[in-house]
Amino acid sequence: MSFQERLSTGEFVILAEMNTPKGVDTSPLVSLARRLKGRVDAVTVPDMDNGIMRMSALAGAVILNQQGIEPILHVYCRDRNRMALQGDILTAYALGIQNLVVVDSEDIANCDHQETMPVNDLDELGLIGAIRSLQQGVDLAGLELNGAPKFVVGCTMAQYADEQALERELEATRKKVEGGAEFVVTPAVYDLKLFSSFMDRAESLGVPIIATVFLLKSVGSARYIANTEPASGISEELIRRIRKASDREMECLRLAGETAAALKELAQGVRFVTLGWEHRLPAILDYAGL
Amino acid sequence: MITAERKPIEELIQSVKPYRSILLAGCNECVTVCAAGGRKEVGVLASALKMHFLKAGKPFEIQEITLERQCDPEYVEQLASNLDQVDAVLSMACGCGVQEVARRFHNKPVFPALNTKFMGASERQGVWSERCQGCGDCVLGYTGGICPVARCSKQLFNGPCGGSSNGKCEVDPNVDCAWQLIWDRLKALGMTERYEENLPAKDWRPAGGAGPRRIIREDMAL
Repeated sequence: MSFQERLSTGEFVILAEMNTPKGVDTSPLVSLARRLKGRVDAVTVPDMDNGIMRMSALAGAVILNQQGIEPILHVYCRDRNRMALQGDILTAYALGIQNLVVVDSEDIANCDHQETMPVNDLDELGLIGAIRSLQQGVDLAGLELNGAPKFVVGCTMAQYADEQALERELEATRKKVEGGAEFVVTPAVYDLKLFSSFMDRAESLGVPIIATVFLLKSVGSARYIANTEPASGISEELIRRIRKASDREMECLRLAGETAAALKELAQGVRFVTLGWEHRLPAILDYAGL
Repeated sequence: MITAERKPIEELIQSVKPYRSILLAGCNECVTVCAAGGRKEVGVLASALKMHFLKAGKPFEIQEITLERQCDPEYVEQLASNLDQVDAVLSMACGCGVQEVARRFHNKPVFPALNTKFMGASERQGVWSERCQGCGDCVLGYTGGICPVARCSKQLFNGPCGGSSNGKCEVDPNVDCAWQLIWDRLKALGMTERYEENLPAKDWRPAGGAGPRRIIREDMAL
C-alpha cells in the first residue's frame, strides 16, 4: 500500500528520515534503504539538512525509489527561486517521486556556507501554492504546462517555544493546510501528555497528523534540547532515565521505540529522525513493536 | 539618498478609509530631495484625500506635519502631541521612517504612503538611478567607482556577460552596461590591471544574507 493510500484510508504510517551524503558515495544510503525496506512505509529525504551542503534530496529520493522504497521529498525556499523550485518539482515527478513535504529551512547564519546569499523568493505558503498550480497544469507565470504532475503534499510545523508560539504555529499550519497541504508533520514529541493536548487542538486542522520521534542519542543531546527548546517537553525525569541506564545507547533506542508505540494511539503516523543513527532504526522499530 | 515614489492614490484611500482622522507625516530628508514625501508632497496628497472623501460624503480630517527626519527617534517624538487627536498615521517617509514611527507609537496604526525604491543618485532633473545596494563590503575601489552589485543586472563581479551592445545592458537598453562603464573608466584612469584581478565569490553576510544588520559604535553608544 502506498503512502497516499495509507493516508487516505486512515492507516498508521511509519516514516524514517534519511539524508543524502556530503559527497558522491551513495552506498551507505543504498545499504540503509535495503535494510529498511519492508519495515517503513516511506522515507523522507531532507534537502541540505541543518544547512549543510550535500547531495540534493532529489537525487536521494530517486536512489531510494530505485531501491523500492517510497520517498517523500523535502522542498524548501532558502536556496532556490521560483523557477528552480518549479523546475525541480517537475523533474521530481518525471523521475517517479509522488510525495512532497514543504519545509522551513535553516537560517543561513547556521549553515556551513554562511557567505551564501539566501533566496527566499517564495515562502512555504507560496511554495504550496506553486505546487498546487503545477498540479493544475499552470506554472507561476500563468503559462500552461505540457503535462501536469500529481503529488501528495504535506507541510511541517515548526518547533514552538511557548504557548504563544504554539498558537502562532497552529495558525500558520492552518494556512498551509488551507493552501493545499494534505498532511502535517509535527515537531519532535518527548512528552506524550503534552502531545495529547496538542492533538486536541491540531485535530481541527482536518488532515492526518504525523508525529516526529527524534532519537535522543545521549544525556548531552537531551539536556541541550531541554535547554534550548523549553517547550519540547523533555523532563528531568527523562534525562535521569537515560543517565541512570546501564546501556545508555540502548535506553535511547528504547525511549524512541516506546514513544512511537504510544503515538500509534494519538497520531496517524510517526516520522523517525535519527540523524546518522539510521542503522539503529530496526532496533527502534523492534522496541516500538512496529 | 534613499529614493521613493508615492503609492497610487487608490491604494492610499484603501489604507485610510476605515478612519475618521489621520496624521499625514512627511520627511524633510531623502524623500524631499526625490520629491516623493516632503512638505510639498504632503500638501498635495492631503488635498487629494480630502477631495476624495468630501466627494464620497465621508467625514475625514487630515493633520499635516513634516518632520526633519522620520528615521530618528529625536524627531519622531514630535508626533506625540498630534497622535492623541488622530486614528492613524499615513507616513510619507521611506520604509525606515514608517517603521520608526510604528516602533515609537505601537498602539497607532501606521501606513506607508510611499514605495521605497533604492539608494541612488540624481542623474538629471527628475531622473534618479540606483547606485548602491548596501552590500556591506564595498568593491568600488576595484571597479573604477562603478558598482557591479547595484548596476550590473546580473551582479557579475569579474567582467561582462557578453550580452551588452553599444554599451547598453541586454536586460534594458536604457541602462548602461556596468562593465562597459567599469572598463571605460579603468582605461581612462590607466588602471586596466584591476580588470585582471579576479574577485572571489562574494561573501553576502555583510549584505544581510545572515539576517538583519546593525551597526554598533561602541565609542558613541550610551
